[in-house]
Amino acid sequence: MSEAYLTQSPRTAWRVYDGEAAVLCPDDSTLNSLNAVGTLIWESADGKTAVSAIVARICEEFDVDPERAERDTMAFIAKLRERGLLTVSETIQQAP
Amino acid sequence: MPSVPGLSIGIAGLRTAMVTRDPDVADVVRDRYQGFLSSGPADWRIEISPLPGSVPFSKDVVVRRDGGPARFSVRRYDFAGIVDLGERTADVALTSPDDVSINSFLRILYSLALVETRGLVVHAASLVRDGGAYLFCGPSGSGKTTVARLSTDATLLSDELSIVRIAGERAVCFGTPFRGELALAGEDRAAPLVGIYFLHHGGRHAVEALGPKEALARLLPNVLFFAREADVTAAVFHIAANLVEAVPCFDLSFRPDPGFWEVIRNV
Repeated sequence: MSEAYLTQSPRTAWRVYDGEAAVLCPDDSTLNSLNAVGTLIWESADGKTAVSAIVARICEEFDVDPERAERDTMAFIAKLRERGLLTVSETIQQAP
Repeated sequence: MPSVPGLSIGIAGLRTAMVTRDPDVADVVRDRYQGFLSSGPADWRIEISPLPGSVPFSKDVVVRRDGGPARFSVRRYDFAGIVDLGERTADVALTSPDDVSINSFLRILYSLALVETRGLVVHAASLVRDGGAYLFCGPSGSGKTTVARLSTDATLLSDELSIVRIAGERAVCFGTPFRGELALAGEDRAAPLVGIYFLHHGGRHAVEALGPKEALARLLPNVLFFAREADVTAAVFHIAANLVEAVPCFDLSFRPDPGFWEVIRNV
């Protein structure tokens, strides 16, 4: 499987409170409330960190088995993509 | 026809010169903003003129960036205007010189203009008690006017739309002429904001502390802001986030008697 890299949409605004992010989507002013695992994924969406590395961190920090961590991570990424909060690419993205 | 001279209003520390050749508009401004008429150099200048003919604009307010990063067009069925945040000017044409149109345009103008000064216009009643301002936030029907009506020993800043500005590490709440069902303008004064209460009716008075994430989620839908551009929306988001980080926030369940002040005092 080829590697994937996540990049936060520059249109979002966000803050982290007690390890949990609140992410605003300006298109519809929706505030997306992320849990601790979602926040780890969100904060890792820097265009440089591979999804496989994010999954490995989740396994390590949250004591989850790799199969489940990958499945849940991919489902979460699909949701954020659908809401226009991040993009997924097969190559490392340079910072704008 | 010459402009009506010397017509300025000051709201939340922003003084605005209202320039018009229409004596009816001038009368509306003098009457509607009586407690907020101001003198001295203005920060902003609004030119108000009549809009001839019918207006094909929507019932809802539409605010869009138009012709430059600091220029926004502001439209509704009864007005069409341009707000230039860089020049600090606005031009608005009204289909009729009534207070509803002027007041609506002013609310939108202040919601845009205040961002630069780290301020927000919030759907909230605000009251001053013992030198501190209390913000009671909520949509229509949540009890803003009721809270204001029950607080006879407090100073009314607004029963409908309040203005809050972040100053350093603290927040200040300002009186506004933007009134709700109480049909009373607030006092033209400011006080340090000591608490934000998200209102709802209940069978008893109860206060529950909210963390900043929950408070932010409850505050944002109550912020009056129409533009959808990412940069200005992000600026509003960060002002709101700074606000809930600077000021204690609570859920307030209340029934229609002044006893809610007692539970607020006991927090």
